[in-house]
Amino acid sequence: MTATATEDLTNRLTITRQGGQMISDYWDELFVARESGKKIVWYNGGALNPIFQAAGLAWCHGEAFAARLAAQRLEGPAQLAGAEYGYNAELCSYSRTHLGCAVLTLGGDDEVPGTGVVGLHDQADLASRLPSPDLFVNNYAGCSTGQQWDEVSYRVFGKNVPIFNVSHPFLWGNKPDAGYLVGQEWEDASRYVRDQLVELIAFLEHQTGQPFDHDLLAESMTHIKRAAELRCEGLELCRATPAPATFWDWIACVAPINFLPGDQALVDYFQGVRDEIQGRVDAGVGGIRDERYRLYFDGIMNWNKLGFLSRRFAEHGAAVLAGRYIQNAFWQEPDLIDTSDPLLGMAQHYLLCPTNHGSKTIDYLTRRDCERYDVDGLVFHSTRTCRAFTGPQRLLAKSARDKLGIPSIFFEGDVADASFYKEEILDSRLVAMLEAIDIARERGDHKRPGAGAEVAWPQ
Amino acid sequence: MAPVSRPVRGHFLGVDLGSTTAKAVVVDEDGVIVASSTIAMGAVSRAGMRAAVDAALASAGVAADELGGTVSTGYGRRLVPGAQKSFTEITCHARGTAAMVPGVRLVVDVGGQDSKAITVDDDGLVVDFAMNDRCASGTGRFYEVLARAVEVPIEELGTLALSGSDDLEVSSMCATFAETEIVSMLAMDHHVADIASSVHRAIAARTLALVAQVGRRSPVVLTGGVAQNPAAVHFLSRALRTEVLVPPRPQITGAYGAALLALEATRRGRPPVDDVAGADDLFPRTGGHDAPGHSCAGCDGTLVELGSTIPVRG
Repeated sequence: MTATATEDLTNRLTITRQGGQMISDYWDELFVARESGKKIVWYNGGALNPIFQAAGLAWCHGEAFAARLAAQRLEGPAQLAGAEYGYNAELCSYSRTHLGCAVLTLGGDDEVPGTGVVGLHDQADLASRLPSPDLFVNNYAGCSTGQQWDEVSYRVFGKNVPIFNVSHPFLWGNKPDAGYLVGQEWEDASRYVRDQLVELIAFLEHQTGQPFDHDLLAESMTHIKRAAELRCEGLELCRATPAPATFWDWIACVAPINFLPGDQALVDYFQGVRDEIQGRVDAGVGGIRDERYRLYFDGIMNWNKLGFLSRRFAEHGAAVLAGRYIQNAFWQEPDLIDTSDPLLGMAQHYLLCPTNHGSKTIDYLTRRDCERYDVDGLVFHSTRTCRAFTGPQRLLAKSARDKLGIPSIFFEGDVADASFYKEEILDSRLVAMLEAIDIARERGDHKRPGAGAEVAWPQ
Repeated sequence: MAPVSRPVRGHFLGVDLGSTTAKAVVVDEDGVIVASSTIAMGAVSRAGMRAAVDAALASAGVAADELGGTVSTGYGRRLVPGAQKSFTEITCHARGTAAMVPGVRLVVDVGGQDSKAITVDDDGLVVDFAMNDRCASGTGRFYEVLARAVEVPIEELGTLALSGSDDLEVSSMCATFAETEIVSMLAMDHHVADIASSVHRAIAARTLALVAQVGRRSPVVLTGGVAQNPAAVHFLSRALRTEVLVPPRPQITGAYGAALLALEATRRGRPPVDDVAGADDLFPRTGGHDAPGHSCAGCDGTLVELGSTIPVRG
């Protein structure tokens, strides 16, 4: 049967609605955290929330809030406020949105002084609902904008709010003994970041006037480790054909694993995700109707277009089932975490940010996952204002073509600025790639000999 | 197992509804072009497409209901009534160009709103492709901007550019800002021919960057309306450091490829099926340009080209 343009051929995981409610509750609590007597930390980068949880703080992840606004199509007022304040449209749209929120938060209920373009109170209210920060912490790896982001927020707030920066070495991966999670470079960087986390804890104790609760950190990380294990099991189950869940389902699971408190509710949620996927595998049910192609998606999510993209790919029978942002981010190596002494494993995950690797490692991880998930093609989201993520994409496409015989397409978009997305560009390129895959299948030369083999670290 | 090829009879239609022109090609059961047409439009237009189809069918002496199959391509491919299947212009340009120029390895197609570099294999099937991003740089629209800025008819632009010196610096490749840059060069009293030549050189450099994404191969064929511009061919050839071939009718390669795909599907015993969802309902056939429901604002109905038999085979 031919699909009509409006028919939704996705079969999204039902449990993600539950996750959506958990996230909504989290933000509602944050908006009134000060009234609850909590100090508030604004932070960006790796998931420091277990440390903040153990320090008794309420936490606001700037990227997460920008992504939420974009997913709800409420980012406009914040971006206008940022533009009015002086931030260029080529600046990372996550940071532009969040910095605009900072400007709106400072302005309170009043319109932002200036030209007065931001006065859209029905939407600006949400962007300005973030409680003012009592301290900043930056934990960004691999992205120079991210590393300066909280420093800029610090200046927006008149340099009156304390700030702590965690520095992360870039993992070049070029030393003779270097490999994924091994080698002197990895061990040195891990210890370097771990030692800074010890200093961060001392900083937080000073700011809160309270002793840090190491037992609570261990407990929180025990729950997070278990949730991460369940998430990894769910991802592993998606190697099945048809894929029981898609990249878009996992995108809906990013927020819970990235910044919700480490507690039993988080474990229960990912147990539910894993179980629903297992049920689909057992029943032979796919994440889209009539899976005909299996694709890999490289790029940060285009949050304005989550639902649209999921439907668009499904219309073509394309199950997007793996991607750098999912397989290689968000507590993706839970075995690294020693719950009795979690700081080293946490530091290592901050280093494993998917923008913090040299191209050799990213190429290895990409090819590894293309083989593991038996993909037919790659789709690169060339994220306009995120050069850290897009930098190696041409190299990855060339490597996939030359070493695996897998074709690629690129389309431009952005994390939180819909103006950079052009629908026709994605659609014509996607269909052209699927046509080429069809023709190659007809000729019987779609897959090279040896496809599906384990990818070895390149020597 | 190789696909079974069945004998077929009749004619097959390919329609390329592009951003500025509509093209139609009729082939016979041997893949020989028996008629073609190219219609200028202001924008994607159902009326322009209808005019192109009617002209090609009339020239071929074939009625619409006698066609063995129709395949559409181009930006407006989903809007072609009667098309049983649509393919992207990537697939169709590759197929059509490989039939016109056997042995081609790299197709550079420069259309009204986009430019593409496509590598193809022995059978004219797509190996890899890259398209321009973000803006009209290096597309037919860019040449139109240049022609308007220097006040020269588009048909004479190439000859003018070949008569000039190409050593002026052109830094912007955005069509809008390039116009500003061209105007400033005119204000500095540079010769119009030098400006045209330098802009052509800059566009070729942009195309070279596109080719770099798929890899340089030869033979190289330039298709699309821009291929009729001798300066575009010259500067691209110089940039690629190899001869650039131009087929006899470079604008119809996409439509020709579409017609061949319709023919080949029938040969395989699988006539193209109707997946141009609802096109006939959305755009019911009407009596012509003046009929109620005519939605063409930009099509002047100009028949740019009407061709007949070209001795090539699919």
